Amino acid sequence: MQKSDSKFDLPQGTLDLLIMRVVALGPIHGYAIAQRIQQMSREALQVQQGSLYPALHRLEYKKFLVARWQPTETGREAKFYELTAKGRVYLKDETQNWKRLTDVVGLILKGTVEGI
Amino acid sequence: MNWLQRLFSRKRLERELEKELRFHFEAQVSDKVRSGVSDEEARRLTRLEFGGFDQIKEDCRESRGTMWVESIVQDIRYGIRQLRKSPGFSITAVVTLALGIGATTAIFTLVHGVLERSLPVADPSSLYRIGDKSTCCYYSSLESDDGDFDLFPYDLYLDLKRSSPEFEELAAVEAGGGSQPVRWGSSPSMPLRSEYVSGNYFAMLGVGTYAGRPLTQNDDRNGASPVVVLSYAAWQSYFAGDASVVGSTVYVQTHPFTVVGIAPPSFYGDRIVERPPDFWIPVSNEPIINGQGSDLWPKGEEDSAWFYLLGRVRPQTNITALQAKLSAMLRQWMSTQVQFTAHGGAALIPRQHVVLTPGGGGIQKLQAQTGKGLRLLMILSSIVLLIACANFANLLLARGTSRRSELAVRMALGAARIRIMRQILTQSVILSVMGGAAGVAIAYALSRMILLLAFPHARNMPVNASPSLVVLGFAFVVSLLTGVIFGTIPAWYSSQAEAAEAFRTAARSTGDRTSMPQKALVVIQVGLSIVLISGAFLMGRSLANLENQNFGIATANRYVLRIDPKGAGYSIQRLSALYQRIEERFSALPSAKNVSFARYTPLDGNAWGTCIVQQGHAAPGPQDKCFSSWVRVSRHFLQTVGVPIVRGRDFSAMDTQDSTPVVLVNQAFARQFFPNQDPVGKHFGLMSPRNSGAFEIAGVFADFKMNDPHGNVEPLFLRPLTQQYLGYTEPEAISGEQNSMFLNSIILQFSTSQSDVEDLVRRALAEVDPNLTIFYFSSYDAQVAGNFNQDRLIARLTSLFGVLALALASVGLYGVISFFVTRRTTEIGIRMAMGSSRSAIVSLVMRGALGPILIGIALGIPAALFLGHLSASLLYGITGTSPLACIVATAALAASALIAGFVPARRAASLDPMDALREQ
Repeated sequence: MQKSDSKFDLPQGTLDLLIMRVVALGPIHGYAIAQRIQQMSREALQVQQGSLYPALHRLEYKKFLVARWQPTETGREAKFYELTAKGRVYLKDETQNWKRLTDVVGLILKGTVEGI
Repeated sequence: MNWLQRLFSRKRLERELEKELRFHFEAQVSDKVRSGVSDEEARRLTRLEFGGFDQIKEDCRESRGTMWVESIVQDIRYGIRQLRKSPGFSITAVVTLALGIGATTAIFTLVHGVLERSLPVADPSSLYRIGDKSTCCYYSSLESDDGDFDLFPYDLYLDLKRSSPEFEELAAVEAGGGSQPVRWGSSPSMPLRSEYVSGNYFAMLGVGTYAGRPLTQNDDRNGASPVVVLSYAAWQSYFAGDASVVGSTVYVQTHPFTVVGIAPPSFYGDRIVERPPDFWIPVSNEPIINGQGSDLWPKGEEDSAWFYLLGRVRPQTNITALQAKLSAMLRQWMSTQVQFTAHGGAALIPRQHVVLTPGGGGIQKLQAQTGKGLRLLMILSSIVLLIACANFANLLLARGTSRRSELAVRMALGAARIRIMRQILTQSVILSVMGGAAGVAIAYALSRMILLLAFPHARNMPVNASPSLVVLGFAFVVSLLTGVIFGTIPAWYSSQAEAAEAFRTAARSTGDRTSMPQKALVVIQVGLSIVLISGAFLMGRSLANLENQNFGIATANRYVLRIDPKGAGYSIQRLSALYQRIEERFSALPSAKNVSFARYTPLDGNAWGTCIVQQGHAAPGPQDKCFSSWVRVSRHFLQTVGVPIVRGRDFSAMDTQDSTPVVLVNQAFARQFFPNQDPVGKHFGLMSPRNSGAFEIAGVFADFKMNDPHGNVEPLFLRPLTQQYLGYTEPEAISGEQNSMFLNSIILQFSTSQSDVEDLVRRALAEVDPNLTIFYFSSYDAQVAGNFNQDRLIARLTSLFGVLALALASVGLYGVISFFVTRRTTEIGIRMAMGSSRSAIVSLVMRGALGPILIGIALGIPAALFLGHLSASLLYGITGTSPLACIVATAALAASALIAGFVPARRAASLDPMDALREQ
């Protein structure tokens, strides 16, 4: 397993949110999701396959995502995930919650690193 | 997709999961190759990054939410695979359980179908019956010593109905019911069962009809045109399902009746009987059929009670208050009846009463007859089941122990203990459910057999051997519980395996803790077997005592048939000519020896009873013992049934209508009414002192059993066919005397044994008069044996259960001892190498089994005595606590234990010490 210095543990449930955010951009398969998260986080986040796929299957089971088998540009069949209407609402709500939470936490923690 | 669909598309999901992960893997590899790594290196790196492929898959499966079902499915598949690998064990376990579950389910089928049955009518729970016994069938005196009434005369019924608005409807139904010759169109006369019911019968039950209309209150009044409703089964079997029968005329005993309807297929009447009524007649039509002999209305002082009352109670009725009110009305009515007030009877009226009972199951006559036996069988079959369960647990334990090392390895490799326990439990549940399924098949066969044996004359009997949903549910629950309860202990013990210990002691044990539960199970099996075997012995002895008792009559080469001259239109005047013709014709049959007529024959379950009054005595009070049975017979009757005269003379040709009216009495009669006197020449009469000089005793005959073969011989007198007593003035006595002239039973005695005699007799009778129908034909031996159908059935089932118990216990014992030998092979080898003799080895092995057997016997004997005590009322000629039964049971058990133990003990003794030591 590749260890990265800047790797840190994601809070519970955050991975679901990141996956859904990526999927919201359009139908995408698991490998691309991992790549995209890595890119978007400027290589700070590396999603392990062991977390990614159970999360995808869980979201599919909860009907936030639907999946379809489609050929990729290389011609191989891959499982493409898409956001459902239910998933879209959920993503929106959770993103707002997340923003509120980080604002509040940020407010409290402001300046602490220097102060400690 | 819900989880159920996911479960069934499991294969596809698995394939897709593999494909999806594979794609990811390949994509990652190609990315690496593109960045300049060699293919081989790229694969190695990617594999490292991926970690456990299977771990990821397992996590994905888990997030699907079907994990728990899937793992159960896995366990079941694994279990079935494991069981297939050891067919001997699996078959033994399944058969053991199937026998136990089959026995219990068969009895439960009957308990459910007979004892817990509701009538197929609307809202059975609001039905109540006035009365809690099943007194049969006619009464005109107090019905029981404690004043409990359950038979009512018609006029009292009308009174009660009028003044009890608590009943939505109160109906009267005939207590007895009989056979009537019925003709339809050009058909020959058919013997159909009839039941008189009040007009509101169908309305009270809330039962409609399959075709036509039900009986109504309008059909049940004086002068209404005579009608009947047919049962569906009778319509099918006697009228070939012909729809034109509705509205047509049938002749009941030559009287025309219109068929107005056919009852629904599921309706069998107001009680479960061997032969349910084929048609229902409104009560008010009874005088049409019985004419002068009608018992509907009071005749003189005598008011015959022959109805059970069944009604639908309005909601929120206070049953206790209603019962008190009805009892008060009964007493009020009785105080106006001379038959109850005369001769000091008035003093007994205050304690007369009725008991209201829930009537949803109908009249509980069959239930009262069979309830005790069925409940005993339920207990016994449950014991068989328990023994089977103990055996089952024992098998599982032994198997678990022999798999100890395997389980230890699996646990050492990381299998969860809980999962292993669950797998073992799953296997036991699979076995028990298979046993249950096989048990249901056994149960069906067994309950069919029981019904055939118990009710050989059944026709359209509404008790079915096919298991109902409730019964199937019962079997399923029982087998599931068996699997879970008796699988848990072995599962727990097996999963206790400590790897290191299990490896070390695989075959080197000299005794270990797992044998404790096995010994406990042997104790249980032995104890319960003692109970069953002693029960089987008691029932078998009781049956033998019943069947081999001296009935006092000879039955060999004798046949009994019943006809109905009255139903065929004969008057009293034409009777003697008819009997003479029949006697002549039958006497001409090859090797015929005697032909006799009787109103009823000994041990056919019937006789008339009456209160006798000795000449010169006052009228007996209501509590004086004045009761005697009596039968009118033809001259050679006693000779035909082989009963000797012990004093005085037999009937003779000199006893005619014009000579002195004579009777013959039995010894019990002489003892009771003429103690220490010579009864010959004495006179007595029936019912009232007015008639007390009517009959002269001409002789005394040896006692024989007339009615109940279980009881003592009761007083009985015989009157000749030729003498009708004309001195009566009371209308009820006159019509009773007239009825008694019709002798419906014929006894034929041959000098050698016969075959095909029934055909011969039917043809001979048809030559005399083709209108005479034979209602019943039986060899006399079969008629007598028919009295013991229930006793025989209970005895046979009990011995069947006893044998099963013994076999199961022996198998269990054998298993435990063999297991002991296998486990201690090494020890036995060492002992033998050290010079232990073979007999010492045998006794070492046998000693191990002795303890639990002795404890089992010690516990079983008191339990057997207790059960014997409970079933005392079912026994004849042997007490329930007979020590003999316990001795026999102990001996049988000891013998089979000896055999079961000796086989493996011998095997142990014949071990070659070297082989035994080398085994590990």
